[in-house]
Amino acid sequence: MNTLGELERSVLEHLWAVGTPVTATRLRDEFADRALALTTVHTVLTRLEQKGFVAHDESRPRRFRAVGTREEHVAGLMHEVLGQAGDRQAALARFVGSVNDDEARLLRELLAGDGR
Amino acid sequence: MLPATAAALAVLAAALAWPVPSLLRSARWPGRDPLVALVCWQAIGLAGGLSIIGALLVHGLAPWGHSLPEAWWSWVRGEAAGGPVRGDHWVTMTLAAVLALELVGVLALSWYRTARTRRRHRQLLELVVAPGGAPDTRLLEHPAPVAFCIPGARPLLVLSSGMVAELDEAELAAVVAHERAHLREHHHLYLLPFVAWEAALPVLPAAGRAHAAVRELVEMRADDVALHDLDGADPRRTLAQAIVAAAGRPGAAVIPGSALGVTGGAVRARVVRLLEPPAPLPPAARTGALLAAVLLLLLPTALLLLPAL
Repeated sequence: MNTLGELERSVLEHLWAVGTPVTATRLRDEFADRALALTTVHTVLTRLEQKGFVAHDESRPRRFRAVGTREEHVAGLMHEVLGQAGDRQAALARFVGSVNDDEARLLRELLAGDGR
Repeated sequence: MLPATAAALAVLAAALAWPVPSLLRSARWPGRDPLVALVCWQAIGLAGGLSIIGALLVHGLAPWGHSLPEAWWSWVRGEAAGGPVRGDHWVTMTLAAVLALELVGVLALSWYRTARTRRRHRQLLELVVAPGGAPDTRLLEHPAPVAFCIPGARPLLVLSSGMVAELDEAELAAVVAHERAHLREHHHLYLLPFVAWEAALPVLPAAGRAHAAVRELVEMRADDVALHDLDGADPRRTLAQAIVAAAGRPGAAVIPGSALGVTGGAVRARVVRLLEPPAPLPPAARTGALLAAVLLLLLPTALLLLPAL
């Protein structure tokens, strides 16, 4: 699968894993099994940059690195996706929201007191 | 002249803005048949909007004819009014136009903003999720027990690794069935007008309460649909266990939660309903409720279109 979305995912995973800035040619070589053109690598990097997940430095050739770690990305994502602000509530259907400790104990008692 | 029609529509609008939704909210039967209750809520919302705008329009156009279509047509063609046109006619006509534009505009805006938020969320998620246990599920590496779906043309059903670790296989199947029910029945569309109108009418607490009620019913409906898709000895108990496990784990605290009493109460209602299922609504009551919803829509429509008494 060489769709742009899939490539973005692979490239970002790679940048997260190495943790140091990497040039586009180096990335192309890393993904040699996919036989990517250098322009494709640049397209993917540009798209990731536009989304704010990747940044480059001013050296020549330019080197690219991931903005933040994978953990930071997931933490930010959880915060944004499951945040409670206004229109976001309508954006997704969550299985169940988290409740406070008292409520949680009450729920477990309900379950236990069901007589089975 | 149309004063009786305008007054009747105004009374209907007032009833639909407060007493009727309040009655439906405190009634016990919606939990017995969430789908029928959801239909009633849609009818209340639609009929309420129709009657308030209609009341203003009918009053404003009264000097131009004996029925709204006739008066409207005569006004559009710029004909002279049959009676004296006072200031209050212009004021109500302007109000009708403003209100109609606001309701439709807010609905469109809400649709647009929600679609944009979903697109962004999908973008953020697709970079990190891995294929899940089923073809339509995705796995997100995170310790908190979370499951959700993003509706739309390309729906996304996400389970966190914390959820997978916390639940056994049957409970996990119940969670997935619940989320699939949301997607299959397009529950986000039932919610959209209520989300929009709560935003449009922040001064009206009834709008917010209606939104909360519809949200709760949608969850109950998804529970009901999920039960049909589950096998196993006691799917009700399995689903209830999954809800309690996902709602009350300490891991859930690391993500922004809704530690509000409302949410807690709604979760409790869902669990109680699963453990001690209320008797389903008898067919006669079901038909009666649906008929009431249809009549609720027909009443303002008839008042608007028929010649004045």
